[in-house]
Amino acid sequence: MTQPQDLPKDAAHRLEELEHGLFTSDLSVNEFLLVKEAGFHPLGFVMGSSIYHIGLQTRKWGESQELTKLTEAMYTARELAMNRMEEEATELGADGVVGVRLDVNYYEWGSDSAEFIAFGTAVKAENGQSYRNAQGKPFTSDLSGQDFWTLMQTGHVPQGLVMGTCVYHIAHRKLTQALGSVGQNVELPNFTQALYEARELAMTRMQDEAGQLNASGIVGVRLEEKSHQWGSHTIEFLALGTAVTKTTGEVTLPKPITIISLDN
Amino acid sequence: MTDIPAVDVRAEMLSGAKSLTVAAAPTKSRGVTSDLSIDEALLLHAAGWEPVDLVCGVSVVSVPMGVWNWGQGEITSAAAGHNAAVREASAELRNECVKVQGHGVVGVRVDVEVHPHHIDVELTGTAVRPVNQGAHPAVPASPFISDLSARDFTLLAGAGWMPVGLAFGASFVYAPRRSAGDTMRQKTQNIELTNFTEAMYAARESAMERMQQSALDVHGQGVVEVKVTEGPMHFARHAVGFTAWGTAVRLVADAHQFVQPQVILPLDDKIVAFEAQSLRGA
Repeated sequence: MTQPQDLPKDAAHRLEELEHGLFTSDLSVNEFLLVKEAGFHPLGFVMGSSIYHIGLQTRKWGESQELTKLTEAMYTARELAMNRMEEEATELGADGVVGVRLDVNYYEWGSDSAEFIAFGTAVKAENGQSYRNAQGKPFTSDLSGQDFWTLMQTGHVPQGLVMGTCVYHIAHRKLTQALGSVGQNVELPNFTQALYEARELAMTRMQDEAGQLNASGIVGVRLEEKSHQWGSHTIEFLALGTAVTKTTGEVTLPKPITIISLDN
Repeated sequence: MTDIPAVDVRAEMLSGAKSLTVAAAPTKSRGVTSDLSIDEALLLHAAGWEPVDLVCGVSVVSVPMGVWNWGQGEITSAAAGHNAAVREASAELRNECVKVQGHGVVGVRVDVEVHPHHIDVELTGTAVRPVNQGAHPAVPASPFISDLSARDFTLLAGAGWMPVGLAFGASFVYAPRRSAGDTMRQKTQNIELTNFTEAMYAARESAMERMQQSALDVHGQGVVEVKVTEGPMHFARHAVGFTAWGTAVRLVADAHQFVQPQVILPLDDKIVAFEAQSLRGA
């Protein structure tokens, strides 16, 4: 068996152990039972990481603009981490990865750099059918075990974790503008527009990724806004969701039982 | 004057300490102690188990002086110390469990503290046994340990799985350093710092590898609820510690039993409590 070149030595050993039947997973017992219920078996806890130095880009005080270099860094670093995680999953012969978490860590000793980590549980279908995505890779998804089971009930399958990001610098207001709006109820059009545009860019990029996977939709979209270490006027907009496609025709879902609990 | 026999202070202390370490033998009249909630005790009973006693295992292992401060690569003595501490504490816990004739320990609270000179591990949980064991129940030589709650234990047991033990792995590394020249050159670049990435990635992987090994040692087939912790040591910023742990489980039924959940829709509204504070404005 050939090992991927860029996985650490211990990773290769660890994955080999997993191939011999032991599984590990960060799923809770509830999630574990639901993943089994959905017809999948967990194979192993998989991970990818990348420590990335984020470059410098000059910003203009009074101009709203996308900081393409920073966007690129945030995107590439996450892609690297995700790809390594996928590589581990492929190594295990997985159909997909559920419960993916993307984290960013900062260490004191690495100025202007951050560690991007992706974690998840690789799973494989027990009926022998392949659930790999349009690109032949294991699907990834940030859905919890509960959400995964529910999604499968509706006849959809996840295709991939899709994301779009945009680092945006929001212009400072000129002094005259700031003075002019003192005491007034007034919209601040340049702020509104900058935030609006940055969000739209992030979401469009996420949708483009879903398009590449021939997905029919994206579920569980989250929009996160973070300034990381760039000060208050530079913000990263990150859109994340799970691209899904419908596989089967009509499904009849059981009617939910309505309950009212007495233990409030 | 009669001779008063000299008191051997050392022997007295030893025998005192020894009597403290020997747990009182369980008697029929002895009540049950447990930190389970009523709901959990009920669930456990429904699955055919009952709590016996609260048990704990503690271990403190020393770490050689100065290992944290300067070096390269992995801090092996710290990882070995961590490993030994966890193993000792688990053995203690198992001993206590056997003493109270429990078959296993559920809801183990895991408390690991890494200090510059020692590593403390404290495990506390509730020993349980199957109900209706008769007068002389057969106690397994090596009871299981699990940090799963009684609720999770019941669920797992229902699906045909049993916990077998705690799986632990730890790894400590020195963060690599960049030369001043590299730092200057990379100042404006978007670039992956490969040596940092490799060091952290490898450390995390070896912690997980050790966890898997310890799961295999107790004949586990899987590890659920794996938790990973990581971060610089608060006393040595350049040393980064990774731990991974979870409960090793094993399929004891012939096949996995499906739980077949039903979809329910609670009709409860969120309770909005009236807060006088909110009237005052933020």
